[in-house]
Amino acid sequence: MRADLEGEKDERLAALAAGGDRDAFDALVTRHRQAVYRLCWSAAGNAADADDAAQETFVRVHRSLPSYDPARPFGPWLRKIAWNCGLSVRRDGNSGVQRVAEGDAPEAIDPAPGPEEAAVGSEERRQMAGALAGLPAELRMVMVLRAVEGLSYAEIALAAGIPAGTVMSRLSRARKRLLAALGARCGGGS
Amino acid sequence: MECRETQTLLTAFHDGELPAVERVRVEEHLRGCPECAARLADLARADRAAGVPDPGPAYWDRFNARVMDRVAREADGPRVTVLRPKGGWVRQQLRYLVPAAAAAALVVMVVRYGGIDSGAPTPTVPPAVSERAAPDSAGERMAKADPESDGQGWPGAGAGRDATGSGSQARATKKAESRADARRVPPPVLANERLAAVSREERDRPADRSVPEGNEEASRDRVTAPAAIGVPSPPPMTFRGAPAGSPPVTAADGMTQGSQAERKKMERAAAPMAEQQGAGKATSASGMRVAKEASPGSPCELARALAERERFREAEAAQRACLAQNPSAKAQERGLVFLAELLDRQARFAEADAVITDVDRQFPQSRPLELYRRQRPTVQRQPTAVPVTR
Repeated sequence: MRADLEGEKDERLAALAAGGDRDAFDALVTRHRQAVYRLCWSAAGNAADADDAAQETFVRVHRSLPSYDPARPFGPWLRKIAWNCGLSVRRDGNSGVQRVAEGDAPEAIDPAPGPEEAAVGSEERRQMAGALAGLPAELRMVMVLRAVEGLSYAEIALAAGIPAGTVMSRLSRARKRLLAALGARCGGGS
Repeated sequence: MECRETQTLLTAFHDGELPAVERVRVEEHLRGCPECAARLADLARADRAAGVPDPGPAYWDRFNARVMDRVAREADGPRVTVLRPKGGWVRQQLRYLVPAAAAAALVVMVVRYGGIDSGAPTPTVPPAVSERAAPDSAGERMAKADPESDGQGWPGAGAGRDATGSGSQARATKKAESRADARRVPPPVLANERLAAVSREERDRPADRSVPEGNEEASRDRVTAPAAIGVPSPPPMTFRGAPAGSPPVTAADGMTQGSQAERKKMERAAAPMAEQQGAGKATSASGMRVAKEASPGSPCELARALAERERFREAEAAQRACLAQNPSAKAQERGLVFLAELLDRQARFAEADAVITDVDRQFPQSRPLELYRRQRPTVQRQPTAVPVTR
């Protein structure tokens, strides 16, 4: 990334990118790609579709930059596009919940675990990914935005286009379901 | 604070969304209540389950380059979106070109195989036609090209002929002549190839008439692109290739078992496109297929029919009923844009603005909305001059 772009706000980078600055767009991609991927994953429910949706998100962003208003916050705008791309890919491929629930979840990166630890961790991650993928999309979205991205209720409400009260109730339902799913996968205990 | 009250606040407490006063009260309760503390720990456990698997550093190393590549391809390459019904011209062309090309291919197949076993001179490559410098229609180009001569024939054509089992010398001679002719003319644009490709794609999509809106554009492109790119102007629907003295060729005349199979194949290839044309008739000025998923007699269908007759107020009421009946995102997205159009056509621009804002909020980057926005000035200038649908 170009040094002079590092401290720039998203909105400024977007304005530069809209003017044809490829480095600015590259910086935006680098800055947001993981969050976009996670959101796409939470919408699509599997790695292959998440990849496709994440790529498509940035293509759409690039296409729409000329009409983007820098006075509006970039993050919610981007997240909304990412979520829609994820849902779109999921609908198109008729994939998602089942594929991941069947154990299609990719491996998470882990800082050099030992063989046994890796085996246990892998199984646990697969269970967790399956539990998350088993949630309805709207619950997955709030869970990922809250638990992974650390967004506030107000920010989630903006991204999801729902009232803040609904965010809280969905989070509550999502957590209950996750715990139930994890409990069942662990043999009904814990 | 009781356990019951604490537990209602636990989610907000865990998420740091609780006001300071209540937060202190919950903390006090948690210190003396292991059960509530355990519930709080569960929330953290659930959050850990929400971790999305990371694809790894190798994936991220390539990510930006792949995005840039796609962006560059979209900018440089022949944008597939050119074929989308932006201004209506392409759609109008397709309305005639696709069925015409399908019909031409069918006619050529009938002519070609209809004459094989009858002993008549092959109508496919008559000298009068093959001696011309270059073909000027799809029918002629297809007639001149033997699908087997360059290996580009559509699958099954050769098999169909072999299946006849006749194997006569006359046929072999005709084939040789045909090959010689094919060598003389420039490489033909095999419209039948494209038709076959389209039909294969159509068949591969299991009754997918309700394509998700996010990728409907892509699906539409998949269907329309091959035909739109390669299909030339509508060929004349006459048997130009048939010799003057040959008897009229009909679908039943002299068709072998194999050629009948080919004809059926052609009909199957043409059917989805004809269906697509039918869907195209329900295209509004905004380029959306408003009645694609509407069942006959449904409010959606009624709205379209009323709009066609410029009874926009009644169409609006029907469209609202249609929206109430179809909660799916795709139906809502298209339906709301159509509603906005109907409002515009009644010069109720402020209400249309509100609907458009709603679509924008619910469906950012909505393609139907984008298409309509381009045409909206025209609609607003002449609200009642042009029917919404055709």
